[in-house]
Amino acid sequence: MPNEAGRAYGLTALCPIKHGAEAPQPGKPARSFAARTRDLLQDLNEAAESPMACVPNTYLCRFLVLDNVAYQGDPAKLDRLRSSYLVFVADLHAGKKSEEGLRRYLEGMWEHAEPTVRSLWEHCVGFDTVSSSDAFVRYVKRCQVENTLYFNGSTDEPLAEQLKNLYLKQEFSRFAFEHQGKKGAELQAAFGQFLTRTRPHDLSGPTWKPGARTLDDAVIDPNPPPQYLRSVPTGASR
Amino acid sequence: MPNIAGKAFAMNLITPIERWQAAFNKIQFWAIRQPILSFSLRGLVTLSMIHYARWAIVQPTEWPRLDESQPKEKLHYAYQLFFSNFNGSWAQYVDSFSVAIPSGLNLLWFRNVGWPKAVPEQPFHRYVEHNEVWTSHYYSAYPMAASNDVKSAQRVKQALTSFASRTKDMEAAAFEQAYNELLNELQADLSQMAPTPIVSLANAAVEERMRQDAEAGDEQDSGRAPAMMGGSHAE
Amino acid sequence: MSTPGSPVTLDLHDIQGNIVKAYSRYDYSHARYVLFEITDGQAGRGFIATLAERVTTSAPWGRGSTEERPESTLNVALTFAGLRMLGLPQASLLTFSPEFATGMRGRGAILGDDGPSGPERWDPVWRKPHRIHVLITINGVSRDAIETAYAFVTDITGRYRAGVRCLTGHRDPEGRNDMPYQAASAIEIDGKPTPKEHFGYTDGIGNPYFKGTGEHPENVLGGGKVTRRDATTRAGWEPLETGEFLLGYKDEAQEFPEAPMPPLLGRNGTYMVYRKLHQNVGSFNRYLDAVGTEYPGGKEALAAKFAGRWRNGAPVTTFPTEAEAEAFAQQWMAAKLKIQQTPKGPAREEAKAAFAQLNAKFVAFDYSKDLPGAGCPVGAHIRRTNPRGSLEFGEAFAFDTRGALTNRRRILRRGLPYGSVVDPQDDTGEHGIVFMALGANIRRQFEFVQQQWVNYGNDFRLGNDRDPIIGNHGTTPEGKGDGRMTIEAEPGGGRPPFLCGGMPRFVETRGGEYFFVPSITALRLIGEGMVDPT
Repeated sequence: MPNEAGRAYGLTALCPIKHGAEAPQPGKPARSFAARTRDLLQDLNEAAESPMACVPNTYLCRFLVLDNVAYQGDPAKLDRLRSSYLVFVADLHAGKKSEEGLRRYLEGMWEHAEPTVRSLWEHCVGFDTVSSSDAFVRYVKRCQVENTLYFNGSTDEPLAEQLKNLYLKQEFSRFAFEHQGKKGAELQAAFGQFLTRTRPHDLSGPTWKPGARTLDDAVIDPNPPPQYLRSVPTGASR
Repeated sequence: MPNIAGKAFAMNLITPIERWQAAFNKIQFWAIRQPILSFSLRGLVTLSMIHYARWAIVQPTEWPRLDESQPKEKLHYAYQLFFSNFNGSWAQYVDSFSVAIPSGLNLLWFRNVGWPKAVPEQPFHRYVEHNEVWTSHYYSAYPMAASNDVKSAQRVKQALTSFASRTKDMEAAAFEQAYNELLNELQADLSQMAPTPIVSLANAAVEERMRQDAEAGDEQDSGRAPAMMGGSHAE
Repeated sequence: MSTPGSPVTLDLHDIQGNIVKAYSRYDYSHARYVLFEITDGQAGRGFIATLAERVTTSAPWGRGSTEERPESTLNVALTFAGLRMLGLPQASLLTFSPEFATGMRGRGAILGDDGPSGPERWDPVWRKPHRIHVLITINGVSRDAIETAYAFVTDITGRYRAGVRCLTGHRDPEGRNDMPYQAASAIEIDGKPTPKEHFGYTDGIGNPYFKGTGEHPENVLGGGKVTRRDATTRAGWEPLETGEFLLGYKDEAQEFPEAPMPPLLGRNGTYMVYRKLHQNVGSFNRYLDAVGTEYPGGKEALAAKFAGRWRNGAPVTTFPTEAEAEAFAQQWMAAKLKIQQTPKGPAREEAKAAFAQLNAKFVAFDYSKDLPGAGCPVGAHIRRTNPRGSLEFGEAFAFDTRGALTNRRRILRRGLPYGSVVDPQDDTGEHGIVFMALGANIRRQFEFVQQQWVNYGNDFRLGNDRDPIIGNHGTTPEGKGDGRMTIEAEPGGGRPPFLCGGMPRFVETRGGEYFFVPSITALRLIGEGMVDPT
């Protein structure tokens, strides 16, 4: 199946948007369903954090409204799309059983971002019958088009692994720079503290927060160790 | 219109292909997918600018139609949908691909209507621009990481955890030697990450306005005067 | 070996001399850079038309040529605001490149001109970009020659004073900040000009070699683009296409570069970036002193790893130890001396050939045997700014050509140091380099190198690490520099790499602008007000 590359999966969904416009509100010009859907997408950019940050195993994803295809000019023929489409493109970790992984992913999306999903898809054809995660999975699969080629230029680990790796890379680099030239027992003790602080096997934290844009708000640790175990070297607060 | 999420840039390219040609191209893509021909993607791997990318060739009958109320698409052409997540600026990406793997691109967009070939570069630039669709909302789980950083981080984690278990009960002197070997093994992975350098003045200006608007919103909420509005960059 | 592809013949008499000639290599060790504002189009055009008559061209000097080498050279460049003031039609103005129209200050966020490199720290003259219209660059073999040429320029400025004004506001070593020009000159040691810059490195070694310049064909070694053959031999190099550096000729993408209209306005011209770069000599020396005591190879080796060259210019990838670099430098000196001491005839030709062979070692190399960076670090200055095919990461034939990611990022570097270092432990004072970069596309060449290769590291798989010497390192909350560099060890040897942290910013921008360097024909068109794109 060309939808996946290893354990990474490329979901490509074209969800047709209903023709017509919203009912006019007093004092407000009505918007077509397609334009309203795009408004909603654009509004997502105003929040400090994307709602997709809550959806497990989203590496990257994008939304756009496709109104039409481009015309290449004579002698090419002119094509016009008869519907606008909400295009949802996600790169995600699906695991070895990819189709089952996709289902789990979409269930997670419903579970963690249901209000966003409902509002974005509200104007799509046939979405009014979707009211459960099962129905959402079925709906997206009906809108899915198969990839002809999916290319993974990165890794295919679960997102939590990727984020933990990034956290560890950043922290270990700092450790290596700060402890250059340290010897034997001192080095060993410092490294021991480093392991205690960074907990390499603990995916829950400390790790990088999905979607973090600056180093200041990148590190999260939902289960910080007791104070006496915490040893924060200089510079780690950056 | 954010095509940018930190170090990642979203490109969407939708190009027509004659329907019979599309059927042929699907076979060609099938061949590229075979492990034995994986060398054909070696240029992409070496460029190492892409997190994930996909090509989907959609015939006129394959556009999702969910019920009778939705008109059936009547199209002359099949369409190749290309969605990519790459690192760097648009121009850098387009330039690098044109110059490094033009023959690969000519294969991947084989006989797409209007495809000018990947070299010379200016017609290629114009073709990409003409057929590009802008993203409305783009999310990356790691705006501060390029695909190189993600791959490097995986190596760091693997080396580090194996080192930790290997050296648990070591004498201090042996530990020091093993640690030096670890650094040697990881010497290409000791760089650090930070937010992306600005690749587009326009995008930077939009982000700055959003940030200011958000701050102004916060301050209004807390009863203080709103911050100054307006962009500070000019393209 | 003949030049591959069809030969390119350039009308060198129509091309300004600073494009083809690096004057400082022809013993022009002094320079003066003068900026002008045009307040009246007609006077401005007269000024340009008069200058066009005196501009130094690229025509070869000396042997077999009708041209005598002049005591001084004079070249003219124009800003976007200048072209507008000179009355170019809007239809022409809109055909210049967007980054040129925006100007260097407007592109500051792309260039990393932040913090101590910000415009508020620039020399006063560079802080009002809308008034900067014309740049005249004078190079001379002596201070007297500079004075003579400057007097000539002053004279014609006076003639057109109704609408042309020399801008003051350059800083000088005496602490004045209202000078009417920027002086620059080669650093002298024992009264002799040298190719050194203020950090002590030999500068200006590598420059691109392109078709049609009439330069000695041997210069393609190291100056051209890499092939898949041995980079220490002629077969390892091919000349770059002319269109990478001159408008109106085929470039590396097999087309003519984007150029202003009408074609005569652009042809034989190019774009130029001017940057006044201050060097924090004290910080640099202190850093080398402090970290050099920890670095196993010592201070000089550390300096070499930063640059990718020993301070005498020997590439560290070819000459990994200081002793080897020193031995090479002595051989080189001896070979040079031998030419002078050998009487004319076959013996001298032989001595010359021997010298050329040695001289090529400065430039005829690549990193194919040094991919992990144990010789020249992957993040070293010269490897970043000219990766010489190493971005294929040893994956032979992954790209259609080995130099694919390098060939379109090359720049012609011109310029000279300015000021002098009074106290090597002091950052303040006037000392740095006037850096000029010429190329057909500022965005694709200079800006790309500056942004992606100098101030970022992803193309080298080095995260956000920057160029150790010229990168725009930031400051930590504790006030330390945040620059970092990994100096790689031999892989698999069990020796750790050496990690340089806490680097402050060693180089800061003090001004600059983007210019257009028209051909003589274009200068005449502009000067006569005859530019018409219809």
